[in-house]
Amino acid sequence: MTAAHEAALLRSHAATSTAAATGLLSWVTTVDHKRIGILYGVSAFAFFVIGGLEALVIRLQLARPQAGVVGAETFNALFTMHGTTMVFLAIMPFSSAFFNYMIPLMIGARDVAFPRLNALSFWIFLFGGLFLNASFLVGAPPDAGWFGYTSLTLRQYSPGLNVDFWLLSLQILGASSILAGVNFIVTILNMRAPGMTLMRMPVFVWMALTVQFLIVLAFPPITVGLVFLMFDRFFGTHFYDVAAGGDLHLWQHLFWIFGHPEVYILILPAFGIVSEVLPTFARKPLFGAPVVIYSGVLIGFFGFGVWSHHMFAAGMGPVADAAFSIATMLIAIPTGVKIFNWVATLWGGRLRGTLALHYAVGLIALFTIGGLSGIMHASPPVDLQQTDTYFVVAHFHYVLIGGSLFGLLAGVYYWWPKLTGRLLDERWGRLQFWLMFVGFNLTFFPQHYLGAIGMPRRIYTYGPGTGWAFWNLASTVGAFIIALGILLFAVLAVRSLRGGPVAPADPWDGRTLEWRTSSPPPVHNFDSIPPVYGRDSFWREKHGDALGRRPAPLPAFPDPHGIHLPSPSFWPIVVAAGIVVAAVGALTHLAIVVVGVLVLVVAAWAFALEHHRAAAHVDQTGNLETDHRKLAMWAFIGSECLLFGTLIATYLAYKGRSVVGPLPHEILNIPITTLSTFDLLMSSLLMVLALAAVQRDDRRQARLWLAGTAFFGLIFLGFQAFEFTTFVHEGLTLQQNLFGSTFFVLTGFHGGHVALGVALLLTLWVLDLRGLLTSRDAIKVEVVGLYWHFVDVVWIVIFTVVYLIP
Amino acid sequence: MSRPAPAHAATAHEHASVRTYVRVAPVLTLVTALEVGVIYIRQLTPIIVPLLLAMSAAKFALVVMFFMHLRYDARPLTALFVGPLLIAVGLAIALMTLTGAFLVLGR
Repeated sequence: MTAAHEAALLRSHAATSTAAATGLLSWVTTVDHKRIGILYGVSAFAFFVIGGLEALVIRLQLARPQAGVVGAETFNALFTMHGTTMVFLAIMPFSSAFFNYMIPLMIGARDVAFPRLNALSFWIFLFGGLFLNASFLVGAPPDAGWFGYTSLTLRQYSPGLNVDFWLLSLQILGASSILAGVNFIVTILNMRAPGMTLMRMPVFVWMALTVQFLIVLAFPPITVGLVFLMFDRFFGTHFYDVAAGGDLHLWQHLFWIFGHPEVYILILPAFGIVSEVLPTFARKPLFGAPVVIYSGVLIGFFGFGVWSHHMFAAGMGPVADAAFSIATMLIAIPTGVKIFNWVATLWGGRLRGTLALHYAVGLIALFTIGGLSGIMHASPPVDLQQTDTYFVVAHFHYVLIGGSLFGLLAGVYYWWPKLTGRLLDERWGRLQFWLMFVGFNLTFFPQHYLGAIGMPRRIYTYGPGTGWAFWNLASTVGAFIIALGILLFAVLAVRSLRGGPVAPADPWDGRTLEWRTSSPPPVHNFDSIPPVYGRDSFWREKHGDALGRRPAPLPAFPDPHGIHLPSPSFWPIVVAAGIVVAAVGALTHLAIVVVGVLVLVVAAWAFALEHHRAAAHVDQTGNLETDHRKLAMWAFIGSECLLFGTLIATYLAYKGRSVVGPLPHEILNIPITTLSTFDLLMSSLLMVLALAAVQRDDRRQARLWLAGTAFFGLIFLGFQAFEFTTFVHEGLTLQQNLFGSTFFVLTGFHGGHVALGVALLLTLWVLDLRGLLTSRDAIKVEVVGLYWHFVDVVWIVIFTVVYLIP
Repeated sequence: MSRPAPAHAATAHEHASVRTYVRVAPVLTLVTALEVGVIYIRQLTPIIVPLLLAMSAAKFALVVMFFMHLRYDARPLTALFVGPLLIAVGLAIALMTLTGAFLVLGR
């Protein structure tokens, strides 16, 4: 970077930072992706400390035989909250911090596609995390394991609020993740700088994109599983009631269909970070970058086909065991490819031994160990010996600390100067790294041996004659060394923020676009949209290609919208507050649920209409020549496919298992339902007519067809209300049998979607009545229409599989 | 916020005409009537399940292609829908199989 460019960046930064809002209120209402990234990072670190303290108490209890630090019940709560906290409240949001801060910078964008939605995702996450931890304050922390296996989590065996806190907070956190996932899919696909083709995107952005797809597709199945559990506990349904024909395996499947992709949700961001750090500090391109990208995508795809390797001990049978064993071994191939490519990147490079490189190399070593023990679990006979022993604990900590955490710490040391404008102390940082590395291996390597000699997981104490005492003590010492390492990091971070050396814009001679702007970046990220010259664009701009040939400078790209930055908004935090108030009400009093839902509805309505007439929001067309909102709706519909797919599959899996009547053929009224099906199909016709009318600015027709669509939707809901009340009178209730449970939840969920669609349609209709819906708003009608048609196609499937198939 | 707009906006993609919509609607009605009708024909009992699924899939495809405009829109939108749909169908079949609804795999 030239000195003139550096000076210009600093001037630009000074100009914008003086104008930047400050104070608590500015953080509460912020929609700036960088600030939201910092909020995610700080929150994740706070939750990480809480989860770490829980781990230290666990290790103190196990340091010697028959220790009395905590009792069995507290121990159960500690390992449950430690697992849940580290997965959902620490590692995932740590990754989100980097997604938020870095992705727009790395693709040359000014913000994410939906800044207010981004803020909403954060506040839902934060409130969900606080809600979960509030369980400690009322003396009811979740205590049934982070996996929440039924029947242990049913009301009969866990009668307190403990599991209620857990299942409600996981649903809240899931909503946050899906909203963020949709947002980043649109951002990455639609907001890249000109010239930033998909294959020119940094590998970190590719891994982030893969993770977003995993999130939007993997969270719906566990959401369904949690809804079933909630209905079993709150309303007495029978989804996991074996006596009524239910199947406990269903929970395990739904949990692990999410749970295994979740492993890749946790590890792929770290892989992306390492893929940025290694080329920077080896001063050569990432070896086989396209193959690293394909491998990451393949890992994500295979991740959906291996979940049952967590269930080898559940008795699935030899064919299922063999299928999932083979799939699990296959997934090791793309993972191994990445490791070879990283090593090849280092080979022959001019290495600079920065702390970021230390952590990146640490990840390669430690994750390889965790990966190898993972392949051992892929063999069912071996897995049966290791299941529920400390060998498994060692394995997944090598993956999630040695892999995810080390990768994220590489990212922290790498991007800290960009985030803060200050450098971290590399000399003391080196001690910090070695404390982490030694402490980690001392903690978890002995656990392989402990597992091999038979120490089970989740026991709160053990006898003196077991031979486990020495290695448990070593493990505890290691855990406290890790804690020391984290403490030292916190000290270094504070020292850096208070008076660390000022970081230049490009302290590492970086390769990607985030290093092309000041440290920290101005609020608008770039003064002009940065040019993209290829993969590692900024490196090429500075140093040229392998032969030193620099690209001809591209002219500044005109930004037809000017620099438009989103306005701060209160509504995200109010919407999130409504959700958590409703959750509190679910544990206390129905009136509080009503208050929460009212706040949610009013705030969501205000949120939706906040910028309805803002001219800057009219054109949101991006790289795919598609409006952001339309792309987002399709991504959301993809997620909904998994939600309804799981609900329908459960209905079919449980069909014919009810032990008492009434049964489907005795009660379903096909003629009436045919009428309601016809009604819904015709509502789709009215919807497209409404869209066509809005597009040609025919307001009278638009109003007519919008009202007609909503009216047909209301008729459908009327049919459903009639059907439900008739069934109840005939003896079929949610609690009557398995058919009642699955039927009412499936069709009720669909009815809820129809009701939401009607609310959206009526909102558009009211806007039209007030003269606020013109052809320039056609995209909004189109997006609502997509949702409406999707609800229609779901009903097409439900009508066939529930009502018609005998 | 948004990227520089290309020559034409998303809504300018060629969509089906109102006439097409009006033609699709009776087809959907007809197939629905056929679906309900065939369940009363005894001779079709052996093939009733695949027959119903095929007719349902046809209706599904008509709505998605024409009313949701996927036939006319950018290809990535199709990928964004069909990819998750296939994963959902695959997982649903696996879930039913593994919980014993289909006896494809012996226990």
